[in-house]
Amino acid sequence: MLSKITVSPAPHISQKLSTQRVMGDVIIGLLPAMAAAIWFFRLQAALVILTCVTACMASEWICGVIRKKENSLWDLSAVVAGLILAFSLPPAIPLWAAVIGSAFAIVICKMLFGGLGANIFNPAMAARAFLTASFGMLMTTWTVPATVDSAMPHISATNTATVTQATPLAWAKSAIKGKAEVTEANGLLKNTFWGNVGGCLGETSSLALLIGGVYLLIRRTITFHIPAAVLIAAGVFAAVFYFVNPDKYSDPLLHLFGGGMLICAFFIATDPVTAPLSIKGMWIFGAGAGALIMLIRLAGEYPEGVMYAILIMNAVTPLIDRACKLVPAGGKPHVQ
Amino acid sequence: MAEIRGKFTFPGGTHPPENKHFSENRSIEPVSVPKQVAVLLSQHLGAVCVPTVAKKEAVLAGQMIGKSDAFVSAAIHSPVNGTVKDITLLPHPVIGRTMGIVIDVDAENNEIKQPVNGQFDKTFNPENYTVEQICRAVKEGGIVGMGGAGFPTRVKIEPNPAMPKEILLINACECEPFITCDYRVMLEWTWQFLAGVRLAARAAGCEKIRIGIEDNKPEAIEVLTNAVKELGGKEDIRVVPVKTKYPQGGERQLIQSVLGKTVPTGSIPPTIGVCVLNVGTCAAIAEAVATGNSLTHRVVTVAGCAIAKPGNYYVPIGMRVEDLIAYCGGLTETAAKVVMGGPMMGFAIADLSTPLTKTSGALTFLTKAAVTRAKHEKQQTPCIRCGRCLTVCPEHLNPTRIAHAVKYFRMDIAQDYYLSACIECGCCSYVCPANIEITGYIKTGKLLQARAKRRLG
Repeated sequence: MLSKITVSPAPHISQKLSTQRVMGDVIIGLLPAMAAAIWFFRLQAALVILTCVTACMASEWICGVIRKKENSLWDLSAVVAGLILAFSLPPAIPLWAAVIGSAFAIVICKMLFGGLGANIFNPAMAARAFLTASFGMLMTTWTVPATVDSAMPHISATNTATVTQATPLAWAKSAIKGKAEVTEANGLLKNTFWGNVGGCLGETSSLALLIGGVYLLIRRTITFHIPAAVLIAAGVFAAVFYFVNPDKYSDPLLHLFGGGMLICAFFIATDPVTAPLSIKGMWIFGAGAGALIMLIRLAGEYPEGVMYAILIMNAVTPLIDRACKLVPAGGKPHVQ
Repeated sequence: MAEIRGKFTFPGGTHPPENKHFSENRSIEPVSVPKQVAVLLSQHLGAVCVPTVAKKEAVLAGQMIGKSDAFVSAAIHSPVNGTVKDITLLPHPVIGRTMGIVIDVDAENNEIKQPVNGQFDKTFNPENYTVEQICRAVKEGGIVGMGGAGFPTRVKIEPNPAMPKEILLINACECEPFITCDYRVMLEWTWQFLAGVRLAARAAGCEKIRIGIEDNKPEAIEVLTNAVKELGGKEDIRVVPVKTKYPQGGERQLIQSVLGKTVPTGSIPPTIGVCVLNVGTCAAIAEAVATGNSLTHRVVTVAGCAIAKPGNYYVPIGMRVEDLIAYCGGLTETAAKVVMGGPMMGFAIADLSTPLTKTSGALTFLTKAAVTRAKHEKQQTPCIRCGRCLTVCPEHLNPTRIAHAVKYFRMDIAQDYYLSACIECGCCSYVCPANIEITGYIKTGKLLQARAKRRLG
């Protein structure tokens, strides 16, 4: 009987919580958005999601074999990376490009840095940036959702294969540049909330993302700090511009519900690995991301700024961590 | 009974399952005298004792068998009548191996020692004893903090003109899961406990007495509140219910919760005029002062799924764990871990011949299921920087940063993040989804630091 008794440092009990369960919760939180993506973009969406997840898992497994490390697929982080990447791709992306993106995300952005927990940049966002730089045209072709009546306005039938449509944020950008009326963009607000508009796979339905985000908050997989900081900062930023010049700048709600704002606030910025550790750091990180997104959307050349905002904030995360060093409960000791 | 809700608490902390049901309703039961006891020479913080008896010498129950002239130390006493068999290295739950005195019990000439709580009632008057008498009795009785750290009580309560003490805070939280020994002492030895509290306050010169107790012990709160009322308000004693949260019974946390005061990092409570004592210690003070008995027996909680007869036992200090296990009906087949202390801060022991010490408040017997599979198989995954350890840390530290600095022997970084301010409560390891032994790394870091200092000094 003695041989069965083990020793280890205290504590000898632990919460029933594992990395696998944290990642599993994120996957469950993404399910409503996945359902919405498949509802709006049908087979295309299903294929892109399946390709990205499979390619990410395969890359992770191959890296494990090459590095002679234990198989790390079961922590499910590759699945999460694949899902987020798929959700931030346009529906019409060719599957070979999705495979390249997935491989870049896992091999270059995650495993080369040392695997789970060691990457500096959010793998999905870095891969998306890579795809944008490499295949600009593919990354900005926005298919019309299957549920949209093709007689609806804003649709410009281009080639024979796909019907494309400018995204709400593209309309907002055109309005800023004086090429379109701002009311056109504002008119899309309702459809933006339900998801009945063009855009990246997972970004279309604000409702589905909100449901997933609330699930994560209830499960305490994420804390409210980062989503709140992102949304408050972006909302205030957009509102200030809107109230100064409502003829040029679109409704702040369109910016909160449109594009990648919600998926960023609940799923991308909250990636624990690339966000600061302390609560104070999380507020700064979230507020910085929200403000950068709006800065790019309103003053930059791109209609959407989530990707670069996240990458920039990822890069300054170590600095934020260092600046927000915690002070012990009893104050700083006199002699260390 | 109206539900009692504690109002006060500290930031951080966590809520492990309480698991007090194993032993909370079992009365304190004196155990039969074992055949042999082994009294360790180091059961406290401070200097190790020197034996005052030789091999083959006969000793009597309560006789001093080891002492030290150092200021921070406490004498040790034999719990039984018998003969010294050996003075040798023995397993110690915390420091591995240390010297101890093995005593063969004189089987014909020993009675089971009974608790002395019957000698105390509400008429007990601490003013019958002078401050010097109390301090001498505490010193000669070898009394140390019985909550876990084992700091010599005499050093705590002796009047110190440099650091006058105003408030005596009694730590009656017992926030560790499974442990119920202090709870039973408060219920069954109420008057002995209160006598010790009043004696300690008299010795330390404290005007105010506060008893901090978690609101998951409503019966104890009621019993103590009524008893304090019966005393008639001669002293300023107040029972303060606090929220049930681990580590509410951490000295610094309890001071924060009950008094709203912060003990500066790296300092001890007396620097802000507070003296903190544990429930068992107070009962021992009363016994030492009123009857002259030394600290030779204590209440030990035996709990967990892996033991046949859990309960609260009145045990001779020096009894070996295996003897107590045998008395309690033996281990079950599913036993995976034997922990001296509670599951959050206790020490897992491999050698069941380890003797109990003055600070062993509990023996917890955990099954594989209670340990959880990941912990049992020691599966650690990489840190995902989720920040849960920062949120629960009651001392507002950055546990993951310190642990990883220690892992890669970067003691400079570990110290920069206040390694030494850690109270080793274990909250960080408890919540870690990657199952990293954060507290274990930090403890290792403290050892490395102490070793480096010794080399320099």
